Amino acid sequence: CLSAVLLLSLLSLGVSSQPITDGQRLFSIAVSRVQHLHLLAQRLFSDFESSLQTEEQRQLNKIFLQDFCNSDYIISPIDKHETQRSSVLKLLSISYRLVESWEFPSRSLSGGSAPRNQISPKLSELKTGILLLIKASEDGAELFPDSSALQLPPYGNYYQSLSADESLRRTYELLACFKKDMHKVETYLTVAKCRLSPEANCTL
Amino acid sequence: MTQETGATAAQLKGYSPPGKPTLTRCRSPEKETFTCWWEPGSDGGLPTTHALYYRKESSERVYECPDYHTAGENSCFFNKNDTSIWVNYNITVVATNTLGSAFSDPVDVDVVYIVKPNPPEKQTVTIMEDKGWPFLRVSWEPPQKADTRSGWITLIYELRVKLEEENEWEMHLAGHQKTFNIFSLRSGGKYLVEVRCKPDHGFWSEWSSTSYIKVPDYFHREKSVWILLTIFSAFIFLILTWLLHMNSRSLKNCILPPVPGPKIKGFDNQLLKNGKSDEIFSALMVSNFPPTTSSNYEDLLVEYLEVYVPVEQELMQEESKDLHGGCLKCERSTSDSDSGRGSCDSHTLLMDKCGETKEEGRHTDRASSRMLTEAQRHQKGWEKDTLTYAHGDMVSPDMSNGRVKTWPSVFSPLPQYSSNPLDKQSSLEMAKQHCLSTSSCLTQPGHSTKEALGPSNWDFCLGNKQPHLLHPQTQVGRQLQAHSEVNISNIGRKQAPAGLQSPALRSTEYVEVQRVNEEDLVLLQPVVSGCGRIEGYPQMPKGKDYSKVKGVDSDNMLLLQREVMEEDWCPGVDQEINGGTGNCYTSSTVNTTQKPTACIHTAMPVQGDMALAMNGYVDTATMCTLPTC
Repeated sequence: CLSAVLLLSLLSLGVSSQPITDGQRLFSIAVSRVQHLHLLAQRLFSDFESSLQTEEQRQLNKIFLQDFCNSDYIISPIDKHETQRSSVLKLLSISYRLVESWEFPSRSLSGGSAPRNQISPKLSELKTGILLLIKASEDGAELFPDSSALQLPPYGNYYQSLSADESLRRTYELLACFKKDMHKVETYLTVAKCRLSPEANCTL
Repeated sequence: MTQETGATAAQLKGYSPPGKPTLTRCRSPEKETFTCWWEPGSDGGLPTTHALYYRKESSERVYECPDYHTAGENSCFFNKNDTSIWVNYNITVVATNTLGSAFSDPVDVDVVYIVKPNPPEKQTVTIMEDKGWPFLRVSWEPPQKADTRSGWITLIYELRVKLEEENEWEMHLAGHQKTFNIFSLRSGGKYLVEVRCKPDHGFWSEWSSTSYIKVPDYFHREKSVWILLTIFSAFIFLILTWLLHMNSRSLKNCILPPVPGPKIKGFDNQLLKNGKSDEIFSALMVSNFPPTTSSNYEDLLVEYLEVYVPVEQELMQEESKDLHGGCLKCERSTSDSDSGRGSCDSHTLLMDKCGETKEEGRHTDRASSRMLTEAQRHQKGWEKDTLTYAHGDMVSPDMSNGRVKTWPSVFSPLPQYSSNPLDKQSSLEMAKQHCLSTSSCLTQPGHSTKEALGPSNWDFCLGNKQPHLLHPQTQVGRQLQAHSEVNISNIGRKQAPAGLQSPALRSTEYVEVQRVNEEDLVLLQPVVSGCGRIEGYPQMPKGKDYSKVKGVDSDNMLLLQREVMEEDWCPGVDQEINGGTGNCYTSSTVNTTQKPTACIHTAMPVQGDMALAMNGYVDTATMCTLPTC
């Protein structure tokens, strides 16, 4: 929540003075946060995978052939061309939705270490940050006239409905999908940030 | 049919269906395209074809590899159009020959996680200088295909450096930046630099091509500084050594001062080593010692006590009371230059005890026997005792500088004599020693007024006065003590009970009559019980024990009764005063000088020995020979 306050303060300042600079700073913050989340997801997944045995791994591979994630309904660019074609606003909104979709399911992420418990609040913070970024952009207000409408993803309870059938497969899917989605958000935010910055090497 | 026949025929020939191929790896250099490579199995002896099929996630449609050639043999290249990110590819390779086909194991691939970029490009290494110290600056460009500009790929870099002759590389992580500085270079060394990169989630690229760089020689400057420093320090060292050598002696004296050895005037170590004792001791003899003529008595006198006796009656009356305790007052005097200690050392111990009575003693003596402790009184004493002083009997116990204020103290214990006879004796002895030790106890032969008692040079050692003698007459004793001139008359007057008491006054201290001066004053000389030799008294009568007063005759003469002494110290002086019933035998005893006289014997050596025994040091005075009478 501290970061949210920080983001809000910065945004409020940014609106008055130099929006570009503040936007860049906000983007940087958001990008770093999502990077951290992605690393968490990677660690969770690798830990889970190492705990599996070969037989289970083969089964999981078969399962993953069908693979589906909760966020599959969200249409998002899947290659560079599409991504670059999308506007910043679109990227931001997609990111927002992706993060939002994981807010609840992340609580049921299995894992032995503490980071799992931190994922959900971090997702919430990230969501707030992205929202700020959306509103800071020019036509952000138009896209979300009613932000409350997006609060309930259509399949928000998908994982929860199946959580009773907790199994190895379910956990594997959860972790894999989470990792992927975080990477998506990271990429989208990075591209959006680079597009806003005038410098050539925006990744620095 | 033919096909089957062919196949069978092939089989009969030993051919077999192909082995199972395996997908070795799939890589994407820029996260936009990717390539997969497989390893074919055995071909079974027949020409085998391979095909790669893939399926995207959430779709059952099977695609075949679009490009088998771009990436080389046994590879499949997926171009941008066919590549989807965040999509799971299920890839399978099929090997087919006439006899059959074999499927490889399927592999799931997500392009995002198989990114391995190309190595960085356009690598440059330059030498730059930082305050005279060179360093390497390495710069590079990301691989061309990787789109870092739009943020599609985020790369981090790493470089490694090593000297040409070394085997170990030195790794440096550069992060996102595209330049890097390397410090701490070896002068004149040749360096190799390589760079590689990695996406935030992916594989490290291969190392870039090696860049060579040679560091220029900057060692000369460093060396010259060291050379200068060495020369300078050597110079300083030489100077210090030379200074030390020049001042070695004085330094040695400063650090290790020479230990003073025993120094005796006239003592020659060489002679001692040679073993000729005669020469040694003769060398010690000082020709003019003891000084026979001394014009200045004050020089000779170290200490003396002058008692001023203005009124005799008063003296006699007042003496007895206050002078108890017999305190010899001896103030510390400065020690002689050639002796190890003050001549009054032993005196002081005793006398200080009685210090409190000193004042009393003085007071008692005030009117009559005023203790002239100061030099001022000395003057008076001089006037009065010119004779005595003239004779050099200055052995009066010290007064001014406080050796022995002996007189009052010596005789003060008249009422208490019995209490501490030893003290008296010791004090007397000490007084004697005092006298002995001082060169002031010198006789002056040249002086007249020698009475019949004998040598004119009798030293009058006041300290030797016999307290016993005066005990009966305390007043007399007081006078005697204080004054070098004994007023015999005084004694005589009071002497009535003397004879009575004298026997009772047996003590070790006694007085020996030295002479009687022209004023009819008996000059008494203390005689040590042991051997009573008084140093410095060349003509000291020895061995006489006049510890008893026989009486005073009508002529106001003090009759002293002589007593036998234990030792042969009895000089043959027979005082005119006394008929001398005591044994008297000339004692020309153990004196080296061997100047026996009828009157005087100088038993120097014995005395000297005694002195030695008492004092513990050699006093040249003892060596003096007393002139004959």
